[in-house]
Amino acid sequence: MSARRLVPAFWLAFMLYGIWYGAEKLSVRNDLSDLLPEGATETQRILLSQVRKGLSGRLILLAVEGASPAELAGLSRSLAESLRTDERIGMVANGTEVRSKKELALLSEFRYLLSPTVTEDTFSESSLRAALEQRLHDLRSPLGAVIKESIPTDPTGETWNLLRSWSMGEGPSTYGGVWMSPDRARALLLVEARGSGFDVDEQESLHRAIRASFGEAVKKIGSAAQLRMSGPSVFAVEAQRSIEAEAWRLTAVASGLVVSLLFVSYRSLVLVLLTLIPISTGIVAGVIAVNHWFGFVHGITLGFGVILLGVVDDYPIHLFSHLTGRESPSSTVQAIWPTMRLGMLTTVIGFSSLLLSGYQALAQLGLLAIVGLITGALATRWVVPACIGTGFVPIEIRTPVQGWLDRLSKGLVPAAVVLILAVAVLVWSDTPMWEQDVGRLSPLPEEKKQLDQQLRKELGAPDVRDLLVIEEATIEDLLEKAEAVTERLEGLRAHGLVKGYDIVSRYVPSRRTQLARQRALPDRPTLERNLKAALEGLPFTPGLFEPFVEAVEAARRDEPIGPEVFAGTMLGIKLESLLFPQGGRWMAVAPLNGVGDRTSLAGHVEQWGDESVRYLDLKEESNRIMTAYRDRTAQLLGWGMAAIAVVLAVGLRSAVLVVRVLTPVLCALLVVAAVLRGLGEPLSLFHVATFLLVVGLGLDYALFLNRPECTGEERLRTSFGLLVCSGTTMLVFGVLAFSKTPALHAIGLTAASGSLCCLAFSAVTARREGHAV
Amino acid sequence: MNFGMMRHTSRAASAWAVPLIWSVVGVAVHGLADDRSEMAWTIEQVVTSVKESREPSVSFEEATYSSLLTKPLITRGVLRFTPPSRLEKDVREPYRERYVIEGDFVTIESERRNMTKTISLDEYPGLRWFVDTFRAVLDGDVARLTREYETALEGTRRRWVLRVRPRSQAGGVPVDFIELSGSEGRINVMTVRTADGDRSVMTLLPGPGP
Repeated sequence: MSARRLVPAFWLAFMLYGIWYGAEKLSVRNDLSDLLPEGATETQRILLSQVRKGLSGRLILLAVEGASPAELAGLSRSLAESLRTDERIGMVANGTEVRSKKELALLSEFRYLLSPTVTEDTFSESSLRAALEQRLHDLRSPLGAVIKESIPTDPTGETWNLLRSWSMGEGPSTYGGVWMSPDRARALLLVEARGSGFDVDEQESLHRAIRASFGEAVKKIGSAAQLRMSGPSVFAVEAQRSIEAEAWRLTAVASGLVVSLLFVSYRSLVLVLLTLIPISTGIVAGVIAVNHWFGFVHGITLGFGVILLGVVDDYPIHLFSHLTGRESPSSTVQAIWPTMRLGMLTTVIGFSSLLLSGYQALAQLGLLAIVGLITGALATRWVVPACIGTGFVPIEIRTPVQGWLDRLSKGLVPAAVVLILAVAVLVWSDTPMWEQDVGRLSPLPEEKKQLDQQLRKELGAPDVRDLLVIEEATIEDLLEKAEAVTERLEGLRAHGLVKGYDIVSRYVPSRRTQLARQRALPDRPTLERNLKAALEGLPFTPGLFEPFVEAVEAARRDEPIGPEVFAGTMLGIKLESLLFPQGGRWMAVAPLNGVGDRTSLAGHVEQWGDESVRYLDLKEESNRIMTAYRDRTAQLLGWGMAAIAVVLAVGLRSAVLVVRVLTPVLCALLVVAAVLRGLGEPLSLFHVATFLLVVGLGLDYALFLNRPECTGEERLRTSFGLLVCSGTTMLVFGVLAFSKTPALHAIGLTAASGSLCCLAFSAVTARREGHAV
Repeated sequence: MNFGMMRHTSRAASAWAVPLIWSVVGVAVHGLADDRSEMAWTIEQVVTSVKESREPSVSFEEATYSSLLTKPLITRGVLRFTPPSRLEKDVREPYRERYVIEGDFVTIESERRNMTKTISLDEYPGLRWFVDTFRAVLDGDVARLTREYETALEGTRRRWVLRVRPRSQAGGVPVDFIELSGSEGRINVMTVRTADGDRSVMTLLPGPGP
């Protein structure tokens, strides 16, 4: 009798601990980059580290629209101004300030080392003369005011040459001094966040701050203009929030339906409440385990995990269906426990394959499911019976139920027909077997993707797909290699294979190149002599070019500079994305644009025969990563099935029974795959992961249907329980199948159809009465 | 450098002195005749009469005074205006260069730099200002002129000076003011003074020039 009190008390203490833990210790993180796999090859690791930390992930594209161009220009200025004071923002560009003063000062200071046009000839008498004459012409030009200031220090125009060599093509079009779309419908801004673009929580608060700044700017002038945002971080936030919202909303709907079904089935509110014990225990224990093991629980894991743990509900349902009122609940649970335990163990084995997938998202999900299933089953075994009175009988089970299952069990022929059809669909369907395009797993509506494309086009900030990756031991080796690659890229550009590229050595030349330029600088007497001769007869104020002579003299003594000089400027930010340390070595990334023929480009890069230079098609590569993980998961699923068979053999001690239990599950998997394919859905990672759940469900059904039972009433109770189990599962996942989020839809459809197929095939292959062992 | 400053001072003095003398003389001579139109010579009238008597093209001689130079640089060429907003500056000497301003864009054809390119006026606020002023005056659009710029008119119908400054200095405009001086409907001189005191003085001569 003491156990009757002790167990619920212990359980209650555990749940209270869980609530405290959830409030105090639980760390829910929403950084999507945590979910990225580690990468199997070096190339994949580079790609993934780029995705995690790279500049492109941190860019936010802003569009202000819905007002007159002049108003938009004013809003763009005031928005940029207020955003520039935000600590979390590294840079705001809206066309007003292309280069900061600090940056221009650095450029000007080191122009003789940086400018590609510096040669010995630059300082000859004739070159100087030509340059000085050009400067006179510049002074007359209507645009002369801009250049006037720099003439005394830089008469050869090196700073301008440098800036010109840096500008990649045409910038965005402008109006009123700020970037605006060519049709002047939108003012455009580019914001670079300092933190990871995939830290959803941080990004969301930043986005809110941006919207608030805009709201203030709009309010001040009483404008009706609107702000639209795009970019990877905006997508990340929206994707995560929409997945979360959908997961919770659909779970709520499904829970409502499940509770109704349970109530209709058992006509007892107490019982409905009791079913919550195992599932809530499972969720609490699972979440605590994941938080302990990984240090945090990912928001996505939590959403999906709770859905997956919905299957824990099956355990108390089995128990309730077998309550007769003649024996105590604890003896009932003891009777069905071996079957339940075996079903739970096999499901756990299925999910443990997720732990080994090497994909953190799946590993967290796997651990959550395993711990949840085990504790859920334990709660059903010990806690639930202790809460039920001995004489408790939920409902008299009526016979029509048995009729359905009996009819099903005679359906050997229809089952065979369905299997043949399934095989036919799998063999002859036009739908590709596997989903190759990762982009299609994105929950974003097409309209958002189009807006992003549009803004990128107008801003000239293309979505980078093609990269050259260069790797060397030191920065200097890397820069020298980059210079060599630049020459080759120029060749490719001449052939029209690429339209443009960006590369670190364009901004910071190698030490070698800088020293060569330094050697080309004349000594003071030579320069003064050449300058004097060049100035002959020109109307420049005497002594005007003394700063120029000083600057050249200073440049002769300068130490060559490295990329670190530009830290804290816009150029510095750009350099960080083009050059970075990677595993003790240095790596440069050269984004290519306007690549037409990727195969031919890859061939050319291959022909260079340089192992430190690689061509990377990001889209192809990320698809490859997903494919690799899906294949690995599928492989683990196979091993998991083998392990399950071994456990079953040990548990059932009968080869015939093992076959009887496994056959319906395998048949169900086959049919589910065919259904998905027939509906035109190529299999993705999410489908494959859900197959595990289907396996677990199917084994549960088959095990219970093949239990050695004595009386017809027992069989009736088992059948009824399975119908309720399968009904709740189909409800939960059927609701998910209507989700617009591809991942949730995949999970829902797979599990719902899987549950139905498993039940049907299990009934067909179940042992008949009289065969009892 | 000193020379430039001197030139500037003398020029400014004459710009102010001449209309002042004229207005005094004007009032003295015509006072009894009660020439109302002379008294109330308004910016509207300047602009209207410039619009009425404008010619499709005039030749110009532009002198650039700079603190960097010991003597002004002279540029010659032809200005063309096609209503409502096409403006062309065709430089003929000492090199050939053409600026065609249509809408908000300037197309530059330069022989010396061997290039043709189109830029947005927005990238050059100083130039935009110059173009706006010139266009507004030539096209008789007073409203636009006074909306965005501070204008001051001095002098008489026979010798007037119109000075234009932007209302806000946003966008780092390097220009201090633009000054048009003329007589009746003819603009004689257009002066652009930058913030550092350098000037370009463009004298307009009737007829298409060379």
